[in-house]
Amino acid sequence: MKKILSLLDRLLHFLLGATLLLLIVPVSLQIFSRFTAFIPRYMWTEEMSRFFFIWLVMLGATLGVRERLHFDVDFLPKLSARATHILLRLSQTAMLIFSGVIVYWGIAFTKFGWNQTSELADMPMWWIFIAWPLCGFLWIVFIVDHMLSSSDASESANQGSVI
Amino acid sequence: MTSSLLTPSMAALVLFGGFFLLLAIRIPVAFSLGLACLPVLLFEPRLSPMVLFNEMFKSYNSFILLAVPFFLLTANLMNSGGITERLMRLSRALVGHFPGGLAQINVILSVFFAGISGSSTADAASQGKLFIEAQVKEGYDLSFSIAITAVSAVLAVIIPPSILMVVWGGVISTSIGAMYLAGIVPGLLIGLAQMATVHAYAKKRNYPVYPRSNFTEIYKAALMSIPAMLTPVIIVGGILLGLFTATESAAVAVLYAAVLSMLFYREMNWKTFIAALIDTGKLSAVALFCVGTASVFGWLLAYYQIPKALLSNVQTWGLGVIGVGLLIAVAFLIVGCFLDAIPAIIIVGTTLQPLAESVGMHPVHFAIVGIVSLAFGLITPPYGMCLMISCAVAKVPLSFAIKDTMIMLIPMLVVLLAIILFPDIVLFLPRLVSPEMLK
Repeated sequence: MKKILSLLDRLLHFLLGATLLLLIVPVSLQIFSRFTAFIPRYMWTEEMSRFFFIWLVMLGATLGVRERLHFDVDFLPKLSARATHILLRLSQTAMLIFSGVIVYWGIAFTKFGWNQTSELADMPMWWIFIAWPLCGFLWIVFIVDHMLSSSDASESANQGSVI
Repeated sequence: MTSSLLTPSMAALVLFGGFFLLLAIRIPVAFSLGLACLPVLLFEPRLSPMVLFNEMFKSYNSFILLAVPFFLLTANLMNSGGITERLMRLSRALVGHFPGGLAQINVILSVFFAGISGSSTADAASQGKLFIEAQVKEGYDLSFSIAITAVSAVLAVIIPPSILMVVWGGVISTSIGAMYLAGIVPGLLIGLAQMATVHAYAKKRNYPVYPRSNFTEIYKAALMSIPAMLTPVIIVGGILLGLFTATESAAVAVLYAAVLSMLFYREMNWKTFIAALIDTGKLSAVALFCVGTASVFGWLLAYYQIPKALLSNVQTWGLGVIGVGLLIAVAFLIVGCFLDAIPAIIIVGTTLQPLAESVGMHPVHFAIVGIVSLAFGLITPPYGMCLMISCAVAKVPLSFAIKDTMIMLIPMLVVLLAIILFPDIVLFLPRLVSPEMLK
């Protein structure tokens, strides 16, 4: 199980890096095509970059769940160890519920996009929509993994902001 | 709206009450926002959880927000590519001989960094490592060192380019080019206020000074930094000349920083590049994910016309531009204590926008007042990212540096007040350079 998780982790890291790199390509193409004659002005560059972007957000959010990067606010006074533990379980359960919602209605969302294609590149929309149920499922896997592993990592990393 | 199950006040109670309750048990902000929407989405007959997906999809399917990972990547490339180091040498040559030399360098480097990066947390993280330990070694107090690192980091989102301005432009449709120009003077004023604060501290506590650099040293340091310092010129200039959009300018900044660090300064290899890439992907995605759930929350607020209900009350007070400006600043300062700036823009910014419009406040003025207030939120506890990062670098609890941070905040608040009272501080530069951007 540990092995599968670490394999999954590496795959997600690879995909995340690749998406970000790929994101730079269509945007750069878009700029250069404006100033050079020999690069044709593709219509799909903008759409393509938006779609990579959606995958970047969902994949990164998934790794964020695994590494507890999603920021939280700590404004309660220090509680006893027992109370802290109960709160942690409570918040993990709530996150599981949200992930379940994302999976359950995400499947409906994907089905809804089954026959739709994108406006410019004519790409099937479910390629995008499937990011929700898929990532939601991975959140469940990672949160359950957190709940099963010992409480040594109960503190969130809490450094996940870019501003 | 007659057929809604919930009245606006009931919906507001469920949404905000649920959100704060979930926050209190330390559920991450992004998840709290999404979870708080669920009861309403499930029980309101006309809505369904599908709204969640539609609104999240719509918010991510935005070309403007693409600039966020790009600006963060630029900052990360600069740090691992030796650009920050070159700028540090120049800062030292320029202000090292002032009282509190190293702390002054800390501020000036933040100003330079702000012109290249649009991310305050990237600034706090890199300068925390650069300065805090070094300052303590030279005899500065630890709490002072943490505080000055944190407060100077907020400049990154006020001086262009800025992630917050890009998000603001995407959500409240204001010209990003105009905001960039408008942010320059307030940013420099806040930087000056911080340097004055450092001066006062240094005089009182006898902080050390570096020997004055001679002309050749300044010249050499400046020469090495010129390519790096061209970044803001390229970004802002390119947007103003219409060569590229705000998002594209962020991609240009990435390419430029990559070329500089790999080919010109030659301090980056494939491994550090990949590390910067992964780091950027994670952090920007986590912040942007929150944009999605915050958008759902904001959409529901609008569905029940909660902003309108709140503001109809305020509008009877008969406030002018200054009164509304103060109200906006206070609202953002309070919200900034508890919420990340991006969801705050989506939820509070869109709520206040009709109010600002109704009293004839200029949209760019509104944007800068909001962004500066939110930037201050980065150093106010309990949720002040820059202060949290600086304290984490120094391995002390957040409360350790609060007193000095609050003292340093006072002159910055004076600048904010000046911006509210005299809109021209904000507006004269965009008016001068590109009046058509103010429409």
